[in-house]
Amino acid sequence: MSEYSIIGKPTPNVDGPAKVTGEGQYTFDMTLPNMLYGKLLRSPYPHAKIISIDTSEAERLPGVKAIITGKDTPGGKWGLWRRFRELADQQALAMDKVRFIGDPLAAVAATTEEIAEEALDLIEVEYEQLPAVFNPLEAIKDDAPMVHDDFPNNINATRHIEWGDVDKGFKEADYVREDRYVLEAAHPCAMEVHNTLASYDKGTGRLTVWTSTGSPYFVQVNLAEALKIREGDVRVIKPHVGGHYGGKNSTMPDAVNAAILSMKTGRPVKIVFNRDEEFTTTEHRTGQHMALKIGLKKDGTIVAFEVKTITNGGAYTGLGATTLYLTGTFITMPYKIPNYRYDGVRAYTNIVWGTSIRGFGAVPGKFCRETQLDRAARDLGIDPLEIRRRNAVEPGYEAPGQYKFESCGIMPCIDKMQERIKTKWPKVGKDEGIGYSAFAYMSGGIFNWIHTPYAFSSAHIKVNIDGTVDLYSQAADVGQGHNTVAAMICAEELGIGIEDIRLHLGDTAHAYTDLGAWGSRETLMNGNAIKDAAAQVKDVLISIARLKLGENIAYDLVAKNKRIYLELRPERGFSYYDIVKDAIKANDGVPLTGTGHYTPHNKGMISPAYGMGIMATKAKVDRETGHVEVQDVLIVHDCGQVINPLGARGQVEGSVHMGLGYGLCEEMPMDQGMLLNPSFVDYKILRQRDMPPIETLEVPTYEPNGPFGAKEAAEATIAPAAPSMANAVFQACGAEFFSNVLKPEKVLNAVKEAEKKAKRTRKSTRKGTRKAK
Amino acid sequence: MKRELNIVVNGESHNLFVEPRTLLVQVIRGELGLTGTKQACDSSSCAACSVILDGKVVKSCSVLALQANGKEVLTVEGLADGVELHPIQQAYIDNWAFQCGFCTSGQIMATKALLDENPKPTRQEIRDALDGHICRCTGLNMIQEAVQDAAQRIQAQKSGKGA
Amino acid sequence: MAYFKCPVCRKITSTHFDLARHYLGQTDKKHKEWLKTQDLSYARLITMQVTEFGNKGYDALAKVLKKEAPEVEMP
Repeated sequence: MSEYSIIGKPTPNVDGPAKVTGEGQYTFDMTLPNMLYGKLLRSPYPHAKIISIDTSEAERLPGVKAIITGKDTPGGKWGLWRRFRELADQQALAMDKVRFIGDPLAAVAATTEEIAEEALDLIEVEYEQLPAVFNPLEAIKDDAPMVHDDFPNNINATRHIEWGDVDKGFKEADYVREDRYVLEAAHPCAMEVHNTLASYDKGTGRLTVWTSTGSPYFVQVNLAEALKIREGDVRVIKPHVGGHYGGKNSTMPDAVNAAILSMKTGRPVKIVFNRDEEFTTTEHRTGQHMALKIGLKKDGTIVAFEVKTITNGGAYTGLGATTLYLTGTFITMPYKIPNYRYDGVRAYTNIVWGTSIRGFGAVPGKFCRETQLDRAARDLGIDPLEIRRRNAVEPGYEAPGQYKFESCGIMPCIDKMQERIKTKWPKVGKDEGIGYSAFAYMSGGIFNWIHTPYAFSSAHIKVNIDGTVDLYSQAADVGQGHNTVAAMICAEELGIGIEDIRLHLGDTAHAYTDLGAWGSRETLMNGNAIKDAAAQVKDVLISIARLKLGENIAYDLVAKNKRIYLELRPERGFSYYDIVKDAIKANDGVPLTGTGHYTPHNKGMISPAYGMGIMATKAKVDRETGHVEVQDVLIVHDCGQVINPLGARGQVEGSVHMGLGYGLCEEMPMDQGMLLNPSFVDYKILRQRDMPPIETLEVPTYEPNGPFGAKEAAEATIAPAAPSMANAVFQACGAEFFSNVLKPEKVLNAVKEAEKKAKRTRKSTRKGTRKAK
Repeated sequence: MKRELNIVVNGESHNLFVEPRTLLVQVIRGELGLTGTKQACDSSSCAACSVILDGKVVKSCSVLALQANGKEVLTVEGLADGVELHPIQQAYIDNWAFQCGFCTSGQIMATKALLDENPKPTRQEIRDALDGHICRCTGLNMIQEAVQDAAQRIQAQKSGKGA
Repeated sequence: MAYFKCPVCRKITSTHFDLARHYLGQTDKKHKEWLKTQDLSYARLITMQVTEFGNKGYDALAKVLKKEAPEVEMP
């Protein structure tokens, strides 16, 4: 809507100068006077009892200032699923046993990194190895080794979702098919590793922590539980963050042990993971097994859908239990599914744990559903885009007891896709195909397993005598551009410029709670809180202006272009800066302030709003080498009102990169719990030469629950990348895929299978036999 | 045993004493406190630590500090002219060619080296020059556009000066 | 309308199937222990529910709850 001065206009990153000059500080860059360096001793075994730890020789090494083991820690357990105490299963250092290769059991603080590392080598540990389990299908069997006591059969979490009558639906279907998949794990690969600088103030007994995180609040509450101190005695500051993608939600041993070592030595302590630790001991995208059963009518409309999944949870819960729930909901979006059933189990295993990586459960599910749907479309003789149109939801659609779409642009997205494809890809060549995938994703979660008593997001603003605005919030920019969005929303509401706003975000000492950057929540939730806060100040400014104008009370005033004026007679008004001065004088010299907050209510179980759309990928398959060339990508996207087109495009393209990697080359092969490719040499990420051109068309809608009609634009577009690519290959040559990484050897096998199948079909057609439906 | 290192960084001379096994990136970030150059891997495979050494872009994690003895190093901190950003830096900002920013210094220095040698690179030449740089945020195409934009700005600046 | 109470906690539902759904959503020791007294195992019921299409786990538990869950008045 062109009525906005700032919203919807391409706006450069407010952190731009800091990031392009190298002046921006990340935790990785920070040091404090008298600082010590911490390192963690990690288990070489996937599952073992700790019999004894002898740190005496290490303690004698010059430069070593403190060594701790489990018994030296306050022993508090923590986790993000605080609502269920038994799922708060993380601890600073392993107490009685280690549960994955890399599980830390001791920590050292020394005057240099080298000395700390040398000290690790001098710590003697006696282990008693225990049988370990790595496959979730094995882990849930009766005779499997138990990863945690009190969790028989290693069942960490379960989820059941059901609506309608699935069994009746399948009976009424004209076509039913079942497909089983294995989805590989993948790593977020943030460029900045996990690292924390902790500083304990001996005088006040308070802790300050700088850490590479997406949620200062999560770190604050987890540290308080781990250290058995008050939340208010922990301050967490988030500097610039070098990437997150959902892999920095759980508070990790770097933060907790840096804190404990600082409390013990009375000096700041910094712990920095190396890249090997980053790959092997930090959260990844959960690998899992999925089974899908779908029932459709002859015309392709879905009548019943059933999904079962067992996920490889790893050694701890993290946000993995939330991912289990969302896997079961995102897999239905954005289609009308009258009868649905989902059962998910997350199993504890002896590997590093899987969690909330970008897409939060949408990614594996969409791979399965969209490739299954293409096969169904082929068998029913329906065009793949058409079958998606026939099942696409419309505004107001409600999945009983789960979610509702208020703004909902999937149909216009499909229409626009159909139009654009005609001119963009009028024809396909030999061994080329166009594959589709629809997608939808939440704008922040409604669930509260973190069990916070606070509003989900808050913001506080202070307007100074010169009209400059200080904006405070705990909200986190982790690279997605939220700082810029926050400034834009505040500026638009007050009718001023971004240059008038000074940001203070990502610090738990400032303002009130925000739950952090996950589930694509910041624009909608923090945006609403900021808009709320700014609106309160705007109301005061408007009251003062109205008084000064003396106009009829029926006339409306607006704040825009640094003026407060009559909407119908714009020449009658005042400069924003003058009204601010008047307002502060009228307020007994107290600067204007506004405190806004947002918590969704009565919006279902998942989210107040959903970004959605459809993606098409054109790909070519080489039948000799199995190489898949992704030639071109087209996305038609509904993210409500786009706040910053530059940022939105950046998020979409970044998502596609990660999603295509999930479909082509990213994997985490393990042998007995040991990751075989813990470096960028062996963990393949798509590079400049690999990326296709990406065209994104926006279909703006207005989301009533979002600030200025906005909703998420950060994660929806990761899930469709791999399935649309797999579908392109399917359309090109009939090759079918039941796992996500389309490596050349897998593609070759699938192509051969498809060629054999085609031969068999031609033979049986020639013989005059037909399969009755 | 420490050895003497004489090095010019961003136009300033430094006389230091370092262990033989010290990497150039450690001197840049540690002794000199120039933390704009980042480290993101331990296998010399991400190029986040790229700087320009005697006119050529190198991964500073793969160069021993003493190998740079007597040489000139340009890091991201040396690009701006006082408060005025370099056209490459401005182009990166205007084209949203970074998000988290952690790989950005390396990308920018590689861009500088590319444009110094090849003022009008094709899109493919840009891809080839930056292929070694891992970026997890941008999807990479927007970086290519920034480099093309930077090339044009530098040409415009030069012809502006010439006129 | 008849109502049924969970043998372990205060939950009341209007069908045995819903009671089974409630039951298998509980992860505390008490609920798991009661199943053993009925010669059932929490893990085996969950495994049935998640490895086969249909509601095999809930159906098996609902059958037992038909006998063991007392009928109550809605408070």
